[in-house]
Amino acid sequence: MKQLAKSGDLAVDLAGAFDASPNPYVLLTPDLRIAGANQAYLDVTNSTRDAIIGQPLFAAFDSGPGDEAPQNVRQVQASLEKARDTRQRDHLALVRFSIPRATPAGEPVLEERYWSATHTPILNAEGEVIWLLQHTTDITELERLRQSTAATHGAASSTALDAMIGGNVLERARIVQEDNLRLASERNRLVDMFMQSPGFVAVLSGPTHVFQFYNEAYRRLTGHRDLEGLATAQALPEVVDQGFIDLLDSVFETGEPVHGQASLVKLQRSPGEAPEDAYVDFVYQPIRDVDGRIVGVFVQGHDVTDVVKAAERQKLMIDELNHRVKNTLATVQSIAMQTARSHPDPRTFAESFQARLMALSHTHDLLTRSHWEGADLGAVLAHETEAHGPHRMTLVGPPVALDPAAALSFGMIIHELATNAAKYGALSAPEGRVLVDWAVSDQLNPVLTLTWREVGGPPATPPERKGFGSRLIERNVRHDLAGEVKLDYASSGFSAEISAPLDRGRRS
Amino acid sequence: MTQALSDRRVLIVEDESLVAMLLETILEDMGCTPVGPASTVDEGLEMATGAESLDAALLDVNVSGRLVFPVADALKARGVPFVFSTGYGEGGLPEEWRGQATIQKPFTEAAVRDALMKAMGIEQA
Repeated sequence: MKQLAKSGDLAVDLAGAFDASPNPYVLLTPDLRIAGANQAYLDVTNSTRDAIIGQPLFAAFDSGPGDEAPQNVRQVQASLEKARDTRQRDHLALVRFSIPRATPAGEPVLEERYWSATHTPILNAEGEVIWLLQHTTDITELERLRQSTAATHGAASSTALDAMIGGNVLERARIVQEDNLRLASERNRLVDMFMQSPGFVAVLSGPTHVFQFYNEAYRRLTGHRDLEGLATAQALPEVVDQGFIDLLDSVFETGEPVHGQASLVKLQRSPGEAPEDAYVDFVYQPIRDVDGRIVGVFVQGHDVTDVVKAAERQKLMIDELNHRVKNTLATVQSIAMQTARSHPDPRTFAESFQARLMALSHTHDLLTRSHWEGADLGAVLAHETEAHGPHRMTLVGPPVALDPAAALSFGMIIHELATNAAKYGALSAPEGRVLVDWAVSDQLNPVLTLTWREVGGPPATPPERKGFGSRLIERNVRHDLAGEVKLDYASSGFSAEISAPLDRGRRS
Repeated sequence: MTQALSDRRVLIVEDESLVAMLLETILEDMGCTPVGPASTVDEGLEMATGAESLDAALLDVNVSGRLVFPVADALKARGVPFVFSTGYGEGGLPEEWRGQATIQKPFTEAAVRDALMKAMGIEQA
């Protein structure tokens, strides 16, 4: 009543009129406490000002203990909240709401009564709701009359009384009220479904596409920004130059829906961060009012970023696989050609070629186990020398991670060294052994040094002609590993010393 | 026909020694003199811009994870014809280099010879 009191004499008149009105009025604060009530209201509710002012409405009146009481309270509360939140008047055509009354003996009882109510928001200059005015009409007598005639003459019959009270007006009011309730609950169910939908949904209104509604998936897509009530260009400034506003404009102007598949959209998904790429399947559909005019755009779709990225990765992997297969085939072709040149006899050619092919295959096995991340030098050594008997090989050194290309090179090198030892060196004699040790020096620019030393075999002699085996070793170390190799044919036995940088980064 | 290429000095850029050895063998069989092989793009650039006299080049497209095109540019500037070798297929080349003589891994001697002759503008018999 603060508002009313402000306007001087007129306010006094208005307050007087309010109190004198035969219509029951109650004034509520936005949090639904009773701020004032006129005499008519006190009369119909059998209460006094002192008892109810300042009380929450539903503490003063709770509709009693009946089964339907909570439902009745909810109905009134929902109507008040709707009037408050939408700043629009809301009507309850018919609601049953019990109120306390004293019997002639003075005992308090609850009396079931029927009401029709109107809830009106009262706004201040800023457009904020400061009061809610409830205007109730007690229509209990009319409702009772209707019920009793329906019981006597059957629900469908039309009586003089019906005509008298407005031709089933109460029945119509009841039906409208029930319809409203059903529509409200259906609307809530639909809203729930949209909110929880895995796809994103947004409702935009007007030519600037103002966000009226959007669901959780839409919030996720747009980085949990507060969009409600904002024009799209203002809410999502980064999409303006990406053509999406133009698309919305065209839907709004022409009414033609727009579809997009795996469309790239750059969205700011965390504050202060650079926009991220997202891919979306989407459809923009016009929303029309009852006259068929376009009033907004309905946006729905799916974030398909993961699917698009997975397809990109797969294509990259297939390209890379193809590249590796073709390179490996060229390597095998080279091994075949070089082996053929040093083995005129098809039988020895087949033997040597197969052995080299198996060496390559063994390293592939090791790399496959690590998903082609790389392989450990010790494992490569063990793998390639296994056939010669582990007791004749002594392998001593720390774990050394080799990238795939280096692992393949070492596989070939060690195969050639072992084959040579079995043919001419220590592994050709019953007591001969091979000692392999390695170390990594200088952790900043790590260099691997590996020594292959044969003992207990025949004296080594330098070959008259450099065969494919020793060329393969030298070329692999120098060319593929960017390292150094020294082959020493001593009378005590053959030895090889290999050093190679480990961080050459063949993929850099 | 093979004489058309004899005594030609051909630069090889290829990161895998076994593949490089295959190309050397093929070139030697055709009477050419292999130059290199370079195992990195940097090494290839050094050879392509150095004092070495070159009649042609065979360039692996993907050299240890780097693309060979800077070497191709240097050779083009010098007027040295070249052939790309690739495991990626025709689609692996960017627009700029489409139509350039290309050999696919694995390669035959005939494919290497034909591609070199095409690049060098030598009429085939």
